[in-house]
Amino acid sequence: MVEPSSAAPSFGERLQVNELASIPDEPSDEILYHHKVRLVESAKLLWGHREIIYTLAERDFRVQYKQATLGILWAVLSPLATLAIFVAVFARVKAFPHSGIPYALYAFVGILCWSFFASCVGAGGSSLLSNKALLAKTQFPRECFPLETMLVNALNTVLSWIPLAILFVIFGRAPAITTVWVPLFIVIEVMFAAGLMLTMSSVIIQMRDLQQVLPILLSLGIFMTPVIWPFTYIPDHFHVVGSFYVNLQVVYGFFNPLGPVIANIRATMLLGQNPTWAPLIAAIVGSICSLAFGFRIFKRLEVNFADIA
Amino acid sequence: MENVWKKFRADLTRPLFMDQVQRLGRSIASSGEREYRWVLKDVSLEVEPGGSLALIGINGSGKTTLLKVLSQVTYQTAGTCIVQGRIGALLSVTAGLHPDLTGRENVYLYGAVLGMGRENIRKRFDEIIEFADVADAIDRQIKFFSLGMQMRLGFSIAAYLEPAVLLVDEVLAVGDASFQQKCLRRIGEIVRQGTTLLYVSHDLASVEASCEKAVWLSDAMVRASGPTKDVVTMYRTAVEKNATLLTSKEGVVQVLKADIYAVDGGQLRSECEVEVALTMDSPQQAEASYFIGISQGPAFPMFVVSHNAQMPAGEFEIRCQLGYLPLPKGHYSLWVAITGYPRGRSDPYLEWQPLVSFDAFGPDRLDPPEGVMVLSPIYVGAKWKIS
Repeated sequence: MVEPSSAAPSFGERLQVNELASIPDEPSDEILYHHKVRLVESAKLLWGHREIIYTLAERDFRVQYKQATLGILWAVLSPLATLAIFVAVFARVKAFPHSGIPYALYAFVGILCWSFFASCVGAGGSSLLSNKALLAKTQFPRECFPLETMLVNALNTVLSWIPLAILFVIFGRAPAITTVWVPLFIVIEVMFAAGLMLTMSSVIIQMRDLQQVLPILLSLGIFMTPVIWPFTYIPDHFHVVGSFYVNLQVVYGFFNPLGPVIANIRATMLLGQNPTWAPLIAAIVGSICSLAFGFRIFKRLEVNFADIA
Repeated sequence: MENVWKKFRADLTRPLFMDQVQRLGRSIASSGEREYRWVLKDVSLEVEPGGSLALIGINGSGKTTLLKVLSQVTYQTAGTCIVQGRIGALLSVTAGLHPDLTGRENVYLYGAVLGMGRENIRKRFDEIIEFADVADAIDRQIKFFSLGMQMRLGFSIAAYLEPAVLLVDEVLAVGDASFQQKCLRRIGEIVRQGTTLLYVSHDLASVEASCEKAVWLSDAMVRASGPTKDVVTMYRTAVEKNATLLTSKEGVVQVLKADIYAVDGGQLRSECEVEVALTMDSPQQAEASYFIGISQGPAFPMFVVSHNAQMPAGEFEIRCQLGYLPLPKGHYSLWVAITGYPRGRSDPYLEWQPLVSFDAFGPDRLDPPEGVMVLSPIYVGAKWKIS
């Protein structure tokens, strides 16, 4: 707080004309602006703006099904269509064992996990670009845009639980008691996806080329992730040299937490087994790293967002 | 009163902003060589709480960027910028509106985006709709709104934002006259309620109507600052000098001499009788219209007088008496044009151009009530009696 001094007239009281030539060409180094990244404070600020996230998500959710005759029904229909394709194509391929679970159920769990992740990263990655107009004109935290996209996708995914429930009924099964673990897996997936989408969105806005590359990477990703093949294809006792073995599932889980997530959701919900902890812990660490890295890089780069959008 | 002073202090010192777009483009194109351009150079300003400040300047002088830096939409390259209190930045009236949503949905969306809580919007909803005058279209998708309606809706939401600092950027340009008037009145109301206003506009009349202080930005730098009237007058005069450069163009008619003087031989004073004397040289005889106008500002005349008459060939003289000079104290330009008659049938014989500039002496212009735009800064002598 500075007390307005009485000696000098305060700003704008008298007409004051500046000599433009006296203004230096460059600012001196000591006044250069450095964008400070404080994670905790940013997170607090973000929490304060949660209403904006809800509102933007509501906007996107409404817009998504506006002027479509079937409206919100599409949220249920499109995962079913994907499932139909998967069943038609892969159910006949006996190469992938699925432990006696009906293939449709087995595949659908994987599809749900994957499509949430892929749509988050895909749409979230370009969320800053698609909200250009707002980005350059309004001042709330920029993380709102990717997170808002994530919320919309989460809503869509929750709606796809309806066909999942129907599948359970059709095959006369019920989710096993171990399903209580599932929320933990969802948290892991959300953290991993959030980290990736924050990274992607902040990089894509500066390097638009990535926007073209990302869908290609994602369509490759579905084959790199145990969606159609079982996670157990990755050896947990990989013989390196002599008596030295490496649990490749753990290594894989760190870099792609989706693997253990999908495997464990299947195991707990469909088979009633307990979680396999080793890869799961790797997945937790990996997703936390992803989130921390994404948030950090996003805050670092956000200085330029409005200028280059 | 004193407490309010201390509590809030918006202080912006030396924010410098470098266009990163170009830099990035260049740094990819050519190796390492970094080129950039300053959009704001060594700009310092402050507004006391509850004050109002206008930013004026030609296109590209950095006004909008300054607002963006203030609202932290973008960040300065150097310098510090302190704003206390919640900022409401109205940088574009339609940016937050989504074409596929209905008016009602958009009110909630845009309100939230501008930083208004949902609860708050619900409370003000009826007022907003009434202000925007779109009550019967509120459940229609706004892509079916006219641009004017979208703009009115956008402004109305912002008008009920009630921030501590309101930044307004050239947003009134689209509305019709009555809505503009309504907006200015609303802005005046907001300022009276204690909101600090930063206002950017090319419309000098609305600037004068709504702000007590002004800053003139020129080429990314602060050229002048001070009371609005002084800064605006200075700006008008400068823009006019520029306009002179742009319009001095040779016509077929040569101007030999141009003068304006008071008929009684004294100084040019407000309300005195003046005569304009012009000596011209025309290569041909023609039916012509003569126009004489006086301007203070951006090449728009405050008034114009005209006359149709035969133009003689060779050297000739035009004398025009104005019975009453409706000008307050200030610096003005005399503009002249000679066109073919009827108008527009041939190229003008003499393009509309300023011939001489002159000072008028007399009283200062009287101020309108707050929030009211005066189109022409003229002076009319009046005798009052209140009984």
